[in-house]
Amino acid sequence: MTHTQKRIIVNNIVMVLSTLSAVIGIGFLLWILSVLVINGVDALSWSIFTEEGAPPGYEDSGLKHALIGQLMIVGVATFVGVPLGILAGTYLSEYGQKSKLAETIRDVSDIMMSAPSIVIGAFVYAIVVVPMGHFSGWAGSIALTIIMLPIILRTTDDMLQLVPSTLREAAFALGAPKYKVITQVVYRGAKAGILTGILLGVARVAGETAPLLFTSFNDNFLNTDMNEPMASLTVTMYNYATSPYEDWQKLGWAAAFILSMFILSLNILGRLFIMKKKGK
Amino acid sequence: MATIIDITEEKALEVRDFEFTYASADEPSIKKLDMPIAKNSITALIGPSGCGKTTLLRAFNRMHDLYPGNEYAGEIIFKDRNILTPNEDLINLRIQIGMIFQKPTAFPMSIFDNVAYGMKLQGIKNRTELNDRVEKALKDAAIWKEVKDRLKHDANGLSGGQQQRLCIARAVAVEPEVLLFDEPTSALDPISTAGIEELIVELRERVSIIIVTHNMQQAARVSDYTGFMYLGELIELGKTEELFVTPKEKLTEEYITGKFG
Repeated sequence: MTHTQKRIIVNNIVMVLSTLSAVIGIGFLLWILSVLVINGVDALSWSIFTEEGAPPGYEDSGLKHALIGQLMIVGVATFVGVPLGILAGTYLSEYGQKSKLAETIRDVSDIMMSAPSIVIGAFVYAIVVVPMGHFSGWAGSIALTIIMLPIILRTTDDMLQLVPSTLREAAFALGAPKYKVITQVVYRGAKAGILTGILLGVARVAGETAPLLFTSFNDNFLNTDMNEPMASLTVTMYNYATSPYEDWQKLGWAAAFILSMFILSLNILGRLFIMKKKGK
Repeated sequence: MATIIDITEEKALEVRDFEFTYASADEPSIKKLDMPIAKNSITALIGPSGCGKTTLLRAFNRMHDLYPGNEYAGEIIFKDRNILTPNEDLINLRIQIGMIFQKPTAFPMSIFDNVAYGMKLQGIKNRTELNDRVEKALKDAAIWKEVKDRLKHDANGLSGGQQQRLCIARAVAVEPEVLLFDEPTSALDPISTAGIEELIVELRERVSIIIVTHNMQQAARVSDYTGFMYLGELIELGKTEELFVTPKEKLTEEYITGKFG
């Protein structure tokens, strides 16, 4: 066997193996999605969006309470986490740069990004839930904010650093003060990237269950008071899916389906922004 | 050892005993440099890579202050004051001494907003005044005809040469007294380069111009005075035609005849 023949054989083996692995990976994803769609669509109905939770056996039951609770908890977390993350990212890229403090913050936030979310839930339980004496929507939002923060902070930092320094210099050369260079020129240049970071950050926390179990807990009925325990799609899904009642399990599928579609569309939207930016 | 001619006309800037040290370096990149810059004329700075010509250029609008730890010594006199003092108002200085960069630096906004940016920074909000001055600046930069129908379009849709002229329009719009060009055509094709060179020559009537260039033909074509720098020193400053035809320094002669660099 010549060297060339050997090379061709090895090349083919590697190609087949890597293609196979890719197909297996994508296969599982499609499998998950198809099971979700089949069971989820079957469980969908208008009453899901108009009715609150009910004891098992009741016909008029839905997920309104969980949908609204989810939107409020994630909404508050986004409202707090996004500006905090963008400001912190701005500090890293534009002010801290390569300083010790900035590098430390980068390292810590990288570690936080991979921290198990249940640990963050336990932390918020200790500092918020225990002193308050009860679970609350606020505590859930705080936990999600902590999880979201490092994602938005690091993408903002990365995206701002991608803006060429000559663009900043050009703005300074026209006599612009630093804050105007950042807000009027650098932010504009990194707009698509920062938006993508926000979407991915929101998508990440929207699917969290563990930190909410410790913090916002659950409520089978509609509650819009953030001071009280609050339903969320994820915890509701967990409770319903593990219950022995068939109608609750069906609602669990519906919750899983709605949640997945929401996160999937956030991710696709994020990719579209990146593609649009690259295409320019 | 340096040969620096006496400039008889009024001076726009005067460099005296100037030294510059980068934050990361032990040795100064520019050593004890003296140089007059004539008003309403074009001064070209030539020299091999690393000779300090861009470093000197970026001292005139204190661009080095954007990065911590850089150190100036000596004086650069502009309008009867030393602009290297710590209490110099850099915003005001950079309005009076504008800069054009090597790569076009169109901001991610519309063509109109790009040109209006400097004026808006100065607090000009009157719509008619902005419109008039943007139009005038774009005409001055010889790009008005090409963009007048798409002022609201994204400036990044323009070609490289058009973007560079847009940047010149943006710099001219704030009516500076000095314009610094840092190899403004090195990223452009020959036709765009010719256009920019023509523009630079026309601008001389209103502003004093300093241009750093790698291209000796460009220096010979556009400038009135040429300074040759080598290893952080100004070796020779003379009238452009004299410096290129009868250089006084041996180093200058060797550089312009292509013996090194």
